[in-house]
Amino acid sequence: MNKEQFLKTLEKLLEKLPVAERKDILIDFEEHFTFGIEEGKTEEEISASLGLPEKIAKELLATYHLEKVEKTASTGNIFRAVWAVVGLGFFNLVIVLGPFIALTGIVLGGWAVATAFVLSPILVLVNLGLYPETFAFFDLFFSLMLAGAGIFIAIGMFFATRLFGKGFVRYLQYNVRLVKGGLKHD
Amino acid sequence: MQGSGDKNGVTTMNVQFKKGILEICVLVLLDNKDCYGYELVQKVSDKIEISEGSMYPLLRRLTKEGYFTTYFQESSEGPARKYYRMTDKGRDYLHEQIKEWKDFSNAVNELIEEGVNLE
Repeated sequence: MNKEQFLKTLEKLLEKLPVAERKDILIDFEEHFTFGIEEGKTEEEISASLGLPEKIAKELLATYHLEKVEKTASTGNIFRAVWAVVGLGFFNLVIVLGPFIALTGIVLGGWAVATAFVLSPILVLVNLGLYPETFAFFDLFFSLMLAGAGIFIAIGMFFATRLFGKGFVRYLQYNVRLVKGGLKHD
Repeated sequence: MQGSGDKNGVTTMNVQFKKGILEICVLVLLDNKDCYGYELVQKVSDKIEISEGSMYPLLRRLTKEGYFTTYFQESSEGPARKYYRMTDKGRDYLHEQIKEWKDFSNAVNELIEEGVNLE
């Protein structure tokens, strides 16, 4: 790969980054080529020792997505950050994706229970509409009680979801530090 | 992870291991004096076999975390160079990292010695 091919590939891979940041990165690599050529290396030699643009882009994107997630932790952001960190290697597939799927399962499950409980009086009413002869006050009261419990569960889940989201972002950051920063174990 | 013992896992661990060490190397080099990117890359790659390209993401990340600042300086030959300078925060971080590295390498060395003696 010569200089132009290397920079073009990298630029394309970094499409999702803001323009200023992408430019900044490309300038770093252009500089690298310039100095290398001054030392008498060929463009091919330089790009070979730089390594694959794909690998470099992956690292840059992971840092970028994590930084974004630190500022605003939306669901989409967290997802992108998870994928970016998983992209860093096989190791992460296990230690990032595993807990992520488990947590997502717990959160979804909690919400499903809350929703079902809250909606249960409606089911009783539907039942009443369909088979008026089977109506029992017990069903109605019981479903109202469930709805009340459902509202509490929903409130609880709201906080739990936020907490999980934040906790997971911290876990991701820890992970990147572990992966890229090496031996930090606190 | 080690227990799984598959080749893929082992090589990944090595790459990640190197990355952590790379960070310490860069921090130590910048503790002595300001350097520009290419200079740093060459100094490290003279001693350790690395994909030079991964140094730039590392430098960016450490800069974003506030461990380095950057500035441009004209040079007599060639284009302006982007220099990295270590901040106080970076220096604190370096000392932390050095301590961890020493603890870690001491522990590994002890284990190696014990292992060798047993054989």
